[in-house]
Amino acid sequence: MRKRLWGWLADAALLLYFVFALFPVAWMLILSLKPADQLFSTYFSFTPTLDAYRTVLGDDEGIPFVRFFVNSLVVSLGAVALSLVVGLPAAYASARWRFKGSEHLMFTLLSFRFAPELTVIIPLFVLYQKLGLFDTYAGMVWVLQLVTLPLVVWIMRSYFADLTPELEQAALLDGYTRRQAFFKVALPLVRPGIAAVSLLAFIFAWNNFVFPLILTSHEAQTVTVGALSFLGGDRPKYHLTAAAALISVVPPLLLALTIQRYLVRGLSFGAVKS
Amino acid sequence: MRARPALRPYLLILPALLLTCGILYPFGLGLYYTLFDFSAAKPRPDLVRLHNYETVLTQDAFWHSAWVTVLYAVGAAGVETVLGVAVALLLHRSSLAGRVLEKILILPLMIAPVIAAIMWKLMLQPSVGVINHLLEPFGLGGVQWTDTPAGALLSSIAVDVWVYTPFVAILALAGLRSLPLSPFEAAQVDGAGPWYTFRRLTLPMLWPYVMVAVIFRFMDSLKVFDIIYALTEGGPGDSTVVLQIRAYLEAIRFQRYSFGISYTIVLWAVVYLAAMVLVRHLGRIQRKAAEVSA
Amino acid sequence: MDRHVHDRRRFLALTGALAAAPLLSACGTGFGGDDRDEGGGSAADDVTGAFDWKREKGATVKALLNKHPYTDALIADLKSFTEKTGIEVTYDVFPEDNYFDKLTVDLAGGRASYDVFMLGAYMVWQYGPPGWLEDLGPWMRNSSATAAEWDREDFFPNLLRADQWSLKAGAPLGRGGQYALPWGWETNVVAYNTEVFRRLGLKPAESFEELRELAGVIKRKAPGAGFDGMYGIAVRGSRSWATIHPGFMTMYARNGLRDFTVEGGKLTPAMNSPEAVAFTEDWADMVRRGGPPSWTSYTWYQCSGDLGARKAGMLFDADTAAYFQAVKGASPASGKIAFHPGPKGPDGSLATNMWIWSLGMNARSKRKSAAWLFLQWATGKEHLRRAALDGDHIDPVRRSIGRDGAYRDKMRHLPGFIETFETVVDQTKIQFTPQAQFFDATTSWAAALQEVYGGKSAKSVLDGLADDLSSKVG
Repeated sequence: MRKRLWGWLADAALLLYFVFALFPVAWMLILSLKPADQLFSTYFSFTPTLDAYRTVLGDDEGIPFVRFFVNSLVVSLGAVALSLVVGLPAAYASARWRFKGSEHLMFTLLSFRFAPELTVIIPLFVLYQKLGLFDTYAGMVWVLQLVTLPLVVWIMRSYFADLTPELEQAALLDGYTRRQAFFKVALPLVRPGIAAVSLLAFIFAWNNFVFPLILTSHEAQTVTVGALSFLGGDRPKYHLTAAAALISVVPPLLLALTIQRYLVRGLSFGAVKS
Repeated sequence: MRARPALRPYLLILPALLLTCGILYPFGLGLYYTLFDFSAAKPRPDLVRLHNYETVLTQDAFWHSAWVTVLYAVGAAGVETVLGVAVALLLHRSSLAGRVLEKILILPLMIAPVIAAIMWKLMLQPSVGVINHLLEPFGLGGVQWTDTPAGALLSSIAVDVWVYTPFVAILALAGLRSLPLSPFEAAQVDGAGPWYTFRRLTLPMLWPYVMVAVIFRFMDSLKVFDIIYALTEGGPGDSTVVLQIRAYLEAIRFQRYSFGISYTIVLWAVVYLAAMVLVRHLGRIQRKAAEVSA
Repeated sequence: MDRHVHDRRRFLALTGALAAAPLLSACGTGFGGDDRDEGGGSAADDVTGAFDWKREKGATVKALLNKHPYTDALIADLKSFTEKTGIEVTYDVFPEDNYFDKLTVDLAGGRASYDVFMLGAYMVWQYGPPGWLEDLGPWMRNSSATAAEWDREDFFPNLLRADQWSLKAGAPLGRGGQYALPWGWETNVVAYNTEVFRRLGLKPAESFEELRELAGVIKRKAPGAGFDGMYGIAVRGSRSWATIHPGFMTMYARNGLRDFTVEGGKLTPAMNSPEAVAFTEDWADMVRRGGPPSWTSYTWYQCSGDLGARKAGMLFDADTAAYFQAVKGASPASGKIAFHPGPKGPDGSLATNMWIWSLGMNARSKRKSAAWLFLQWATGKEHLRRAALDGDHIDPVRRSIGRDGAYRDKMRHLPGFIETFETVVDQTKIQFTPQAQFFDATTSWAAALQEVYGGKSAKSVLDGLADDLSSKVG
């Protein structure tokens, strides 16, 4: 009896948290379905309309949101891909061999994740203008390495560390080269890790605000900056921002649902044994 | 190509190293700026060496901001840890509700924090916001969330908690799921109560997972910017002017570039040191957890 | 030669040896890349011969614009500029929250990414001294570069003067270079909800004391009279420079108060004079008794939004802020908003502060001649009249549009709008003392105001502010 009471209490507490966690999202959904003139005059009873979504996707406000969306996709995917290409060998090396300076290098990589963006933003702006990287995909992919590379290296390093070296050694005995052992044995085994880290890096790259704000203007602007553009002008159009924000949740959400099984491990920075 | 074995790790790490240098370059440039007295008022700066740091560290405003920043980071990371672990424990009981809810746990993490803060500001506005509207039947319709120093700080922390608690919860949940079963079975045989099991087994073994989350949340909230910028702009008074807000105002709004960047460099140094201590601590508790599970 | 210069050289030589070229050139000359030629004449002098709109046919001008109804009207009309001149205009639009960060970083970066951009008169004080803004005076005076129909006499004189400055802290506006052109503007007056005024039998306040009283009365009585959750008066309160310049600065000036006193080129903060302390206490008291809940988070949007949502009985802010809520279909309060000049000062003063959206030219622009054609078209009669009639480009910066029958017909349905505008227009000017640290000073001022509102003693808070500013400003 007492146990069941505790069970109900636990469920109630859990429910309470989820009300807190989901209400703002639900409220954004409600906002996005409101007609402009009912934004502040109604709470829950209003005439729902898809106008906000039509306006956002139809570029009616003079804000080319669809292009920003494509930009975000290109830039985020590009950043993740580059981080994987560069980060996987590094993670593998630091997990397999203890060599001079490896710990320092690893820690330095991690510390980028914690560097205040404002330190680099003005120097980067000047630099990008000179190198012609301002407002380009390449420029964004490069700067987003600050966000994605530490994640990739740190998570993948512990995945590789968890992998027993014997498998690769067996492969070497079978006549595989080191490179083949890496590509044909090690990499397939850490595929879940790669999936998880890609998702995480993608979310963080996708949500980044300060870098695209200062380092892009017309060609490479992303959805986070774009969604805020609806708040300018004569009146703030919260319904459009809400709609834009919800639209931009779609790619990370789809990705998350597809590989949720792997995500759990990825978020723990590989510290979790499955 | 056959590399000498001793060189192999260096070759593998080379691309990351090069990229790191590419990223380090603007940092170096930023650091270099701080040695000058560069501002809009002085486009031809003089070398002032460490004078900017001297000014920063002797300013009351800096120490006030540092204090607020620490309060914010401890508050946000603390609440997120406790709440996140609690949510994970409850979800781990794996009721039907838990299994459904787990799927949508990650949703707040996917809204860009700056947009989340704007939406929260709108919801918390007493005149037209939905939260005061919902609280009205309970006589709380007139709460002015961000109007006092304490209220503003707590409201900002609340938004941070909303965005990042799922991060901790998912991490802790993953930890719970991967705990070895044998110690628990042994405890059950010995007739240990649930509280004893929780304190002596679950918590110590779970701690390394939680610690990773704490490190990330603590470091990240030391450099909080967008949530506070969108919610309170640092007010009322100076009550929520955290270091990054101060740096932003100095470097961008007031165009004292060298001075503003000095603020962020000091902040970076603090975060770097804190991270070093915490990562070391993490190593210790990982070893301890290994002993418990053995 | 002083020691610093010597140190700097040595330091640069050292870095030069170690660092790659971009590092040196980015820093060595200051990151503004301060490479414009000094001492030379204006590029305007290169334009000679008869004026010709087609002079720069085929050129492209790049503009940085803030998301605004003025901008919408401009973009809608760009075709006619291109037809007239053969010049293409490309543009980026950003919302105001990010707009000035964007512009500031861009100008500070020392590139000519944009040839023309929007700015306010206060920005001239920040962007002018480092040499980022082109002096438009030589362009205006050159009859080869400027069409006769542009007619500078047609601008309201206070507006043109507001964008002129000698770049010396404390020097009055209206002398020196013309660093931007007025394009659209706002006076700060009181707008009110006619319904609640009628139902409660109220009249707009004529003195500050009446205004404070009135705000309290509305907050006490309106909710019981069918206006759920209504309070008295919406004014800005967030920790931002923008809190000071609308209603607060207007009422401050009407009370004969100054931000700084200037003596022999030296600025002394005056926000802590006994009269200013008393005024600040009164303002904070008005907000506490009749202002919005959570006032310290209030920006233009919350203030004007509350007027539109029938939560605020009055709004003391830009006339356009109320206008955008008052136009048909914009908000639940549409059609129920009237305008009034606001309370007079003790001596009857209607001194009013203003915001001017101006257009400026990048001093580093490589296409100044084409940019100038764009600026004179955008501030010319033809476009502005169309923008005022077809778009929402109000208040007009040109007297001819203010007098225009079609414009007056368009605005007539808003009770008191034209009358209010005409009452205050001659006394509307920039009420601040021009100086480069304007944003620092007014941000701190707003923070001080919040502290007074929070219950701290106005005298000690404002003394602290004055103390802090006296070392920074001057």
